[in-house]
Amino acid sequence: MPEIKVTPLGAGQDVGRSCILVSIGGKNIMLDCGMHMGYNDDRRFPDFSYITQNGRLTDFLDCVIISHFHLDHCGALPYMSEMVGYDGPIYMTHPTKAICPILLEDFRKITVDKKGETNFFTSQMIKDCMKKVIPLNLHQTVQVDDELEIKAYYAGHVLGAAMVHIKVGSESVVYTGDYNMTPDRHLGAAWIDKCRPDILISESTYATTIRDSKRCRERDFLKKVHETIERGGKVLIPVFALGRAQELCILLETFWERMNLKAPIYFSTGLTEKANHYYKLFITWTNQKIRKTFVQRNMFEFKHIKAFDRSYADNPGPMVVFATPGMLHAGQSLQIFKKWAGNDKNMVIMPGYCVQGTIGHKILNGQRKLEMEGRSTLDVKLQVEYMSFSAHADAKGIMQLIRMAEPRNMLLVHGEAAKMEFLKGKIEQEFSIDCYMPANGETVAVTTNPSVPVDISLNLLKREMTLGGPLPDPKKPRTMHGTLIMKENSLKLVSSEQALKELGLNEHQLRFTCRVQLQDPHSDSDTLHRIYTHLKSVLKDYTIQHLPDGTVMVESIVIKVSSSAEDANAKVLLLSWSYQDEDLGSYLSSLLKKGLPT
Amino acid sequence: MGETEAVEIDDILDDWFIESLKSYKDLHVYQLEHPTQIIEWTSGKTVCVAGYSSGKNEILELRLPLKLLADEKKSLCAERDFKVVHGGFSEGPVCCLTHIPGTRCVVTNDGLTSDLQLWDLGADDTDVIRKTGSLQGTSVSQAGSRIAARLSSPPQVLHGAQSSSVQLTQLGTGQTLYRLEVDSTEPLSSLKFVSETAFLASCCDGTVYLADTRTSAPPQASPPPGECALWWTDASAAPQCSVIRLSSSGQAVVSDLRNLGGALCRAQLDVQTSPRKPEDVTVAWAPALDGCFSVSGLSGLVQIYDSAGWRAEPQDASPLFQHAGHSVSSQHGDGSAPVFITTHVWHPERPRTVLSAASDGSIHVWDWVDPQTN
Repeated sequence: MPEIKVTPLGAGQDVGRSCILVSIGGKNIMLDCGMHMGYNDDRRFPDFSYITQNGRLTDFLDCVIISHFHLDHCGALPYMSEMVGYDGPIYMTHPTKAICPILLEDFRKITVDKKGETNFFTSQMIKDCMKKVIPLNLHQTVQVDDELEIKAYYAGHVLGAAMVHIKVGSESVVYTGDYNMTPDRHLGAAWIDKCRPDILISESTYATTIRDSKRCRERDFLKKVHETIERGGKVLIPVFALGRAQELCILLETFWERMNLKAPIYFSTGLTEKANHYYKLFITWTNQKIRKTFVQRNMFEFKHIKAFDRSYADNPGPMVVFATPGMLHAGQSLQIFKKWAGNDKNMVIMPGYCVQGTIGHKILNGQRKLEMEGRSTLDVKLQVEYMSFSAHADAKGIMQLIRMAEPRNMLLVHGEAAKMEFLKGKIEQEFSIDCYMPANGETVAVTTNPSVPVDISLNLLKREMTLGGPLPDPKKPRTMHGTLIMKENSLKLVSSEQALKELGLNEHQLRFTCRVQLQDPHSDSDTLHRIYTHLKSVLKDYTIQHLPDGTVMVESIVIKVSSSAEDANAKVLLLSWSYQDEDLGSYLSSLLKKGLPT
Repeated sequence: MGETEAVEIDDILDDWFIESLKSYKDLHVYQLEHPTQIIEWTSGKTVCVAGYSSGKNEILELRLPLKLLADEKKSLCAERDFKVVHGGFSEGPVCCLTHIPGTRCVVTNDGLTSDLQLWDLGADDTDVIRKTGSLQGTSVSQAGSRIAARLSSPPQVLHGAQSSSVQLTQLGTGQTLYRLEVDSTEPLSSLKFVSETAFLASCCDGTVYLADTRTSAPPQASPPPGECALWWTDASAAPQCSVIRLSSSGQAVVSDLRNLGGALCRAQLDVQTSPRKPEDVTVAWAPALDGCFSVSGLSGLVQIYDSAGWRAEPQDASPLFQHAGHSVSSQHGDGSAPVFITTHVWHPERPRTVLSAASDGSIHVWDWVDPQTN
């Protein structure tokens, strides 16, 4: 039976990274190539030995697809392509291609320069890796080769995030990556058509979560900012220059207007340049409505948000500053942090995950004394707030997505199957589809039932109809006889005669003959009659005739009797049958060899 | 990209939202796939919810978001989501669900008969809530049973649909350990233990019975405290020992458990007085705020009242706090039926944390600020 194989790479129960292998129709595809942010050693990379014990991966993979720029989905890509070795195509959307190398470089700098690690990819490797990237547009079918095609769908979640549809022949798989089903401020919700893939692959953690509303997260953000401003404190918000940062800016601007607040809001200059660059990317990725309501309100049209100058950090009184980089690991945001950390009226709001080794990571772990360069320590007295704004689907969302795509099977990664029986049951019951939950490192083979369209000749169809019986019914299959002709990409079912004619062949009939010797002193006709009687008693279900031309016929098998030339008491039976009656013919010859009853 | 619209930022900065910055310490808003009529604590960190549609329904055990439970580390915790830790399927609606303290067992009733279903919520190694058995009820009424339980060994459950059919049953054996000897067949609005052995059986007509499972002596009965056909009751255990009875016309009467006949104080609450069904309304004493109680189902909001200043002569009372979140952020579009609150519960220890659920499937967790402290 045809099957699609799916293996999430990784060991044990770890859920920190995504890297999934799919084998479909003879093609091997790697979905995402994430880094596990919790490990400091080689365990952070996916275990590629599953693909091959040594050597490059190029021969074993037809393509690699990256869903979005988060490090737990693309962090190990340069390691895979340049250190393990892969020269084939890497597919991702345009925004992902633009943003990935920046995040990878930042990550590399932190890991190598700050933490002094050695077995890590270099800046050149990141560049070489990105040269292998082929960018994707939404809803555009891309032929990877003459059998494998892929298509990207909008996933929401972050700028450039895509769900990907993979098709080989009539088998297909959809991988969701990270997505959200409720519209976000600047991103909208994921969408896919009723593509009915054989398997829909998604994260199991979504399915067991019920997410707090965006409104409440934003409320918490505004509340904290407002409280800090009201007591005269300063708020630092380290951000990456995109999407979420703009969203928070617009939120604050609107809030300031509504509440008639006077405290200044600034964004640092580094942010402006980057924001402009990504702003252009953003335009092509969003639709009319988003462009109108969100993108057009860019950095330069804010009434209350102004460009930051580093001397402002020393100004007295309340203020809010957006600054890069997002994890406080260098640059302006770190400089501002150092100035403001000592005052307990101030606040720093971290809107996202921080990589190990950064100041951001340390303060989010509760560290209140930081070692800075030159052995000085920094006392962290300001309030540290960790807020998550990322848009993710949840239990309700995953059911909505299944309803949208109508997969034949569901596959959830990064969960413990033993602890997910209810979830499995829920999906199986509601949609009557199987739900698979492979452990990391385990391969699941999903049997597919690809439908193969075949044309049938009218003659053949008519002939079958005249045979009578009930009309063809999917629930009551009927066997029929014909010849299947596969020409180019089409399949045709025709009658045997027509096939022979098309091939220019003559029809032949095969007949077998067999001689059986019997000891029988009677006359030829008596022997024949005895044979007739014997067979009639043994073969009750068959048509047996004693014909006037001196033969006995069993169905289409002909039996003749003649005397033996050598022995007067012996008879020679001649049996003859056509190929269709081979079984009966063999049976008869063995039966008659045993002799006749007296 | 799909047709689902991104929400305008200006939409969210409505009056209620701005007001909420000051009026709530914490606010979380969730959307369940199916609305629930019950929220029941199964531990300090977990609650059960369940569907009430006529066919198959889910029972879910949810773990509260870590951010809500974190105390000193609250600001460093970004986790705001509920986690579905266990789930199961019920063949019919779940109208009443009670956790048996000291066990992983819950008992449910479908609101149509007086039979009970027993479930095992499951341990760490599984996520399935399994049905383990059932208990036959004794009444032939069309209404569902009320259920109550307290810590006991071996586990027992108090249940009944009418005042004449209240019984205490041992879970393991199904044996009846006690029956409330009352002739009246009034449907019950609630059953609650007020001590290890004493319980209050409250009828929809406003009559309450205080009985003790150790004795076969007749219970203390207290007639309805006013003119009204439909009442709801809640009792708080020692040391407060207060009983509150609320009528569908919004009359609230507070009595002492030790002197049920005498009313300590009365008030007319600020509610709408349209016709109600017994299951619409929840009234609950705040476990950690003396004299405070909450009401839902009479006005489209969850109202919190402070009975501390009430006197024996009835007066009008205004709510101390109102949670309008469900009607404000309703998922229903225009033209469809207004959202109503199906149930609410207080956190057993955190003084001002309340969970409320509504007919549109929403479930809110909110920690309100006492407007009097500023």
